[in-house]
Amino acid sequence: MTEPDSPRTRLAQLVADYDWLEEHCRKQPDLARHAGHLRLAAALTRNVVSGAIERQPVPPLHIAVVGGAGSGKSTVSNFLAGGVVAEANPQAGYTRHPTAYVSAAQTLAWPSYLGFLGPLRKITEKSPSNRDEDVYQIHRVSPSEAADPLTDFVIWDCPDMTTWASQGYVTRLIEVSALADVIVYVASDERYNDKVPTQFLQMLVEAGKAVVVVLTKMKEADAPSLVAHFRQEVLPRINGQAEIPPIPVVVIPFLNEAERTDPGKAGAKYRVPLLNQILALCPSPKEVRERTVRNAVKYLETSAAGLLEVARKDLTELEAWSATVAGGRRTFEERYRKEYLVGEPFRRFDRTRQQLIDMLRLPGPARYADQAFAILRTPFTYARDFVVKLGGPVEVPNLPEQTVLTNAMTGWIEAIQAESLRRTGTHSIWKEVARSFDSGLKQQAMDRFQVVARQFELKEGDELEQAGRSLTESLQAHPGTLGALRFGMLGVDVAAVVTALWLTWPPEWYHLLLLPVAAAVGHTAAELAIRLRVDAARSSARAKREALLSEVVTKPMARWLEDLPASGGSSVERLQLALRRVPEAVRELAALTTATPPANPA
Amino acid sequence: MSQTPSDAPFLRTLAPLLRGLERRLRAWLDGQHFYPVPVVRRAETEGLTDDLKRKADALDVDHPLLVVMLMGGTGVGKSTLMNALAGAAVAQASPTRPTTRDPVVYFHNSVNPDKLDPSLRHCRLIRHDRESLAHKVIVDTPDVDSNDEENGRKLLSLLPVADVVLYVGSQEKYHDQFTLELLKQQRQRRGFAFILNKWDRCLQSFKSGVRPDEDWLADLKAEGFMNPRFFRTSADRWVEGATPTAGKLDGEQFAELKEWLELGLTRLEIEAVKARGVGLLLDHVATAAEAVLPPDLTAEAEKVSASWSGHLTDEAGVSTEVLVASLDPHRTEIEQQFNVRGQHRFRGIMAAYLRLTTMSHAWRPIRSRLPLAGGSQPGPPEDIDLTEFAHGCARSAGDRVLDQRGLALVNKLLVDADQQGFPVNLLNEPTAQVSKMDWDERFTRAVVDSLTEVEREFTTPTGGMAYLQAAVRTLANYLPEGVLIATIFVLLWRFFVEDFTPSFFHVLLPFFVTLGTLILLHVLVSLVFPVRWPAIRGEFERKLRGRLEAEYLRAYQSVPKESAANVLQDRQQVESVIRETGEITEWLTARESATHVGELYGA
Repeated sequence: MTEPDSPRTRLAQLVADYDWLEEHCRKQPDLARHAGHLRLAAALTRNVVSGAIERQPVPPLHIAVVGGAGSGKSTVSNFLAGGVVAEANPQAGYTRHPTAYVSAAQTLAWPSYLGFLGPLRKITEKSPSNRDEDVYQIHRVSPSEAADPLTDFVIWDCPDMTTWASQGYVTRLIEVSALADVIVYVASDERYNDKVPTQFLQMLVEAGKAVVVVLTKMKEADAPSLVAHFRQEVLPRINGQAEIPPIPVVVIPFLNEAERTDPGKAGAKYRVPLLNQILALCPSPKEVRERTVRNAVKYLETSAAGLLEVARKDLTELEAWSATVAGGRRTFEERYRKEYLVGEPFRRFDRTRQQLIDMLRLPGPARYADQAFAILRTPFTYARDFVVKLGGPVEVPNLPEQTVLTNAMTGWIEAIQAESLRRTGTHSIWKEVARSFDSGLKQQAMDRFQVVARQFELKEGDELEQAGRSLTESLQAHPGTLGALRFGMLGVDVAAVVTALWLTWPPEWYHLLLLPVAAAVGHTAAELAIRLRVDAARSSARAKREALLSEVVTKPMARWLEDLPASGGSSVERLQLALRRVPEAVRELAALTTATPPANPA
Repeated sequence: MSQTPSDAPFLRTLAPLLRGLERRLRAWLDGQHFYPVPVVRRAETEGLTDDLKRKADALDVDHPLLVVMLMGGTGVGKSTLMNALAGAAVAQASPTRPTTRDPVVYFHNSVNPDKLDPSLRHCRLIRHDRESLAHKVIVDTPDVDSNDEENGRKLLSLLPVADVVLYVGSQEKYHDQFTLELLKQQRQRRGFAFILNKWDRCLQSFKSGVRPDEDWLADLKAEGFMNPRFFRTSADRWVEGATPTAGKLDGEQFAELKEWLELGLTRLEIEAVKARGVGLLLDHVATAAEAVLPPDLTAEAEKVSASWSGHLTDEAGVSTEVLVASLDPHRTEIEQQFNVRGQHRFRGIMAAYLRLTTMSHAWRPIRSRLPLAGGSQPGPPEDIDLTEFAHGCARSAGDRVLDQRGLALVNKLLVDADQQGFPVNLLNEPTAQVSKMDWDERFTRAVVDSLTEVEREFTTPTGGMAYLQAAVRTLANYLPEGVLIATIFVLLWRFFVEDFTPSFFHVLLPFFVTLGTLILLHVLVSLVFPVRWPAIRGEFERKLRGRLEAEYLRAYQSVPKESAANVLQDRQQVESVIRETGEITEWLTARESATHVGELYGA
């Protein structure tokens, strides 16, 4: 049992994320080259970082013998072991799973932590090395000499990476290569400048593995020129980055029967330089393992930074998706504004205006005066209304709000659907969305919209009511002002009538026509003020309505739609999760490995 | 050269046929494609077209040359093999990899280098005078698998020329993935013979595994080469100046290889290989053409059109509502418009009266009341520009509702087409174009035409209404004058004859009576000549809806059918290529000679 946040869980999670990312890359032809790196990252996590955190004992150190088919990996393994331990034969790509050769004298604890060699299963029975399964086997070999220099090492004979069958077992090769503290890269005179093995070597060097190159099979006489050519042609391709230590190159030329069958003695002149180079790379087991772990963590850190590259295409598509959704949102809001809001008169404010006018009427006995004036100005009011009706603003009729909203929403959804259909061939995001439209996404969206639209309806009603009421209430809250206004109006009216009479005295009959106009002066001014006030409130209500729509309807809808490709267990969701989790986990593990360097069994 | 000319025409007559096919393919490539062709497919077809030309040129000679090409990974000994075959150091061989960067072409003196394929002319040309290889060109190529990627590219550019590829493998590389992929890719196009070089290395003693030749033969069997041309060689023992090592290696077959190249490939075999090559190429062309053959979408187009008509009708309905609603606020203007038009039918006092009564509106002509463009010159009532008015309405409606709806409509239609199984990409552009058409203009015209039509209908009625209207018109045109004259006559009669002294009121009476008549007639006119907006609104809406429906259907409904027709045209073009390819293949099969070259091609 592991508690949720233990390093083990972290490790398992990280490995799972790497595996998923690798799978993701394999699905896209242009990302295939990243797949190998991710596989290596997973293998490093499993075999090196995990081992360090579990404080696996050192030694043993691991040597992986890798190279192209037929280049002589098994022969080199024999040379390392100092006796014929691995079967060498002319069939290229014969070895199909890794085999470990451990000195019988070794009393080391075999690595036993969870995740060791990942998918590979240990088989105990002896099996020919062309068994094509995810397995590995361990052979105990009796040391050729009393004090074999490689007693502390495990020698791994690995399968190749060049034959057509290698696609099926290259993961086994990567697994062991990740585990290794030292890589012995075998290249024959035919193979040494081949592309596939060179790329593989480059990947291992990038992962910070210590490498010894063994060039094989050439005529003894050609050896110096080949080594020179290898250094000149191949190594510069690998040493892309500066801080890589120089890679030693040793030679095992085409062997005769005796040398092949007795590497310990007859082949000693080739074996000794090879062992020397390996031992030169391994000052002390503890140091070597520390270096392996350090470099592995460094590789994970740099590759975590490179993960964005893997995801870039998906993220661009995701951005395009967001842009589509945002475009739809803009259109939605514009449609609402133009089709509804512009023409909406907000009748509630007409009522407010009437209320305000009513409030200005005089109370109590004074209302008779008010009524008298009202009668007096009736002709003027009629004339004014007639003129206003003739030349007043044209009212543009409106569709009902709900219809406009529903139409706009349908338009939004369909715009997204059409866009995803258009782009369905370009990326899986669009395909997935187009497919989910087939399985009722539209209905789902409309249901969701109905919910927010209902909220919107409630809120807009409240808001309008409040805006209207606040107008009347502000006046009611100041009775002094109200009274002043009421009597001021009456005063102005009376003054105007008196002035009109005084100016025209003695009045002819047609001068009486002035009276209704004069009686309406104060009243009209007040109505005008009220109208201005109400219209201001109206336009602020319009702006508020737009903000409310954005807040209550379009924002949640847009967020939901934007998350659509990245939800419901889709690949984009998984990708985003991995992108967030991997760098975090790598940082944490890096901290853990530096805090607890692998303990050396006392 | 002393050839038997009797059978020469066989391959030569093939050349023009291949050229014809090439031209057809080229025309298709250069032409416009309505159905999208994936880039990969297009490149493939382009390559095939080039190959057709190459083949046609190669066959259009008296005696075709067989191009034998060595192919394999770096270091397997291609160049050594070449040198051994030539009997001299014609190709550079060395222990460093990769050695060969410039391909070597080994051919007979009698061959004019200008007759070689263009891609061979730039290689190192080595001539010889061996009669047995007179009609064979042997090409040594760079590797496919080294770090030097330029080499791989060179090889790929040479491969199309090859008739027979000698796939050279060594003990290490005989089943490398790189070369196997190349074999898989090329075996559909040319013959393959296999050489396991460095045979000496395969003979080491071993306890496990199988010998490389057996292993490789098993691989090849899996690939369909049941009985391949297979040679085990140790070429380094056969190059000039090699130290004759201890006797012959067990199973070494260099001599057989040389014999096969020199004597086994007779003129008959060469022609068979050539013909087979053409056959394979034609098969390839047919497959490639099948792959780009666009589907027949006629049925789907029908379905889409049918399904679209529903959406389009709905859309026409909504557009009509929007447009009519945008006219609603202008009912007085429209009625005025009708009234003013109506006045033309009256004359005399009635006309003057009507003009006077409608004066109240006349200062406010439609034009100045456009929803958008207000404030133009108020002209005389007759001058009212209906088009401009309608345009204003359509513009305002378009700006508010219809423009957005147009885009939404396209989306709706595309989604619908997808549900009917029609490829959306084909409709994408045409629908976008339709939506960008001058809909403003169309709406305007629809509004104007519908209004005019409604007006005509209401002003030129049929049946009983026509008689009634004629009667009312006649009455209105003559009655007021009649009444005026009659009342004045009565007044004068009474003054002169009856000696009646009229008061002021009596003098005014004829005018009052006439006015009363006019008012009565006016009522009658407005009853018989209905120009009230609510009365014509329904009719106008119906007309406009019909009109817009037709407009939408005409614009959109033909789109899928046109696309399908275009795609069908594409399809026919490709079909004709397939047909022609089939014909040539038939022609070829009928003439193919029975020689033993089958093992070069596998199953």
